[in-house]
Amino acid sequence: MRAIRMAMAVAVFAAVLPALAKDPEAQFKSVEAKHFARAEGVELSPEFADYLYAELRAELTKAKLFGQVIGEGEVVDAADAPASIIIEGNITEYKKGSAVKDRLIGFGAGWRSLKLDTTVKRRSDQSIMVSPQIHVRSSPRWKDKVLAKEAAHQIVKELKEALKEKGAAK
Amino acid sequence: MGLLGQKRVPMVCRITFYCGAGILLAPAFTTIEGMSAKRSMTALADDPKPTPNNTIHAELGEPVKPQTFSRALKFFVADVTDRSGNAQPMLVYKPRNGIFLDRTPVEITREGLTTCLKSANMLALDRDSADFILAVYLFRFGLSDSSGMDFFGKVELAVVVKNPKTGKSQQVTATGTSIAGAAILKKNIQKNVLEDINNALGDALRNLLRGEKLRDAVTALDVSAGDKTPPVGTAPPAAEKPTGKK
Repeated sequence: MRAIRMAMAVAVFAAVLPALAKDPEAQFKSVEAKHFARAEGVELSPEFADYLYAELRAELTKAKLFGQVIGEGEVVDAADAPASIIIEGNITEYKKGSAVKDRLIGFGAGWRSLKLDTTVKRRSDQSIMVSPQIHVRSSPRWKDKVLAKEAAHQIVKELKEALKEKGAAK
Repeated sequence: MGLLGQKRVPMVCRITFYCGAGILLAPAFTTIEGMSAKRSMTALADDPKPTPNNTIHAELGEPVKPQTFSRALKFFVADVTDRSGNAQPMLVYKPRNGIFLDRTPVEITREGLTTCLKSANMLALDRDSADFILAVYLFRFGLSDSSGMDFFGKVELAVVVKNPKTGKSQQVTATGTSIAGAAILKKNIQKNVLEDINNALGDALRNLLRGEKLRDAVTALDVSAGDKTPPVGTAPPAAEKPTGKK
């Protein structure tokens, strides 16, 4: 009985141990998120771009992959440039959806849709590390800024996966 | 044409009809008027008022370290002007009896900027000893429209950097944003809003003081130390003062 209790305690400790481990060290010194440009015909307010920028920075901070999340146009030390990246992009398509279709048909019909082309570059040589294309959708009953929140989340997720793949390839 | 047929009904009857209708409709009109007045009174009562419980003290958390320039420079913060056009600049959050700032955004921004410059020994005590004079125009301070799932703090400012020796100036813009989680309890809402505003202010000051725009402006305006004589006819360019959003 005592041996079983001991074994259980060891099992619980082993299960909790990874959670107690320290966060992995930041892979990059800094990351700079830029305001996304809007392609011609995209009917979104400038506030949307501001909100997307803020959400992207918040998500990048949460990701803990970067030592610093700096604002647009901030100076970076030359020594830190090789370990710094820039995220920029373009909003290529926005469909505002149809509330009527959403209510009558349901199942995602008439939802809002947003497409973004994102580029992640290394600051020092401007080489493109990854360029994910993001497509997010949401109900027209919600605010359009929900799309920005989801898009920011997707960008960081794609970036994390790409960096993990590169790390595994090395 | 009236409600009754004009030709067949005698005038006496018509008068009686309209008087009767008036008497009948009078309570309805009174009720509508009463409801309208009540609604306006409720609106007045709902207008939040600052109390110690709903007032927050926003300030810059940690001073931002400004970028280093080719030579040691001193800045003097001359004017901070509110250009937000907000009638209630201290009311940052209206629902749930509101959340107010204890000082105006102008005071908070001035204090934050001077603290940052002072911490790096870049603050000039007066105009005469300054290499550059900063005139700050505040376009937005507080919360902005968000997705509804969080608070979106935003501080937007434009700074006119002026070299007092040459009289030339350049405008530098800076933006600070912050996202804080939504909350249900009033206490938590206040905490999150305060954190959001503080972070947005710090971000804006960081964007200004560590920005490439300020570096470029200073590089363009900075003259050699030997050239002390101000050129003739270099009045401050009024046209360069920002009057609205970029």
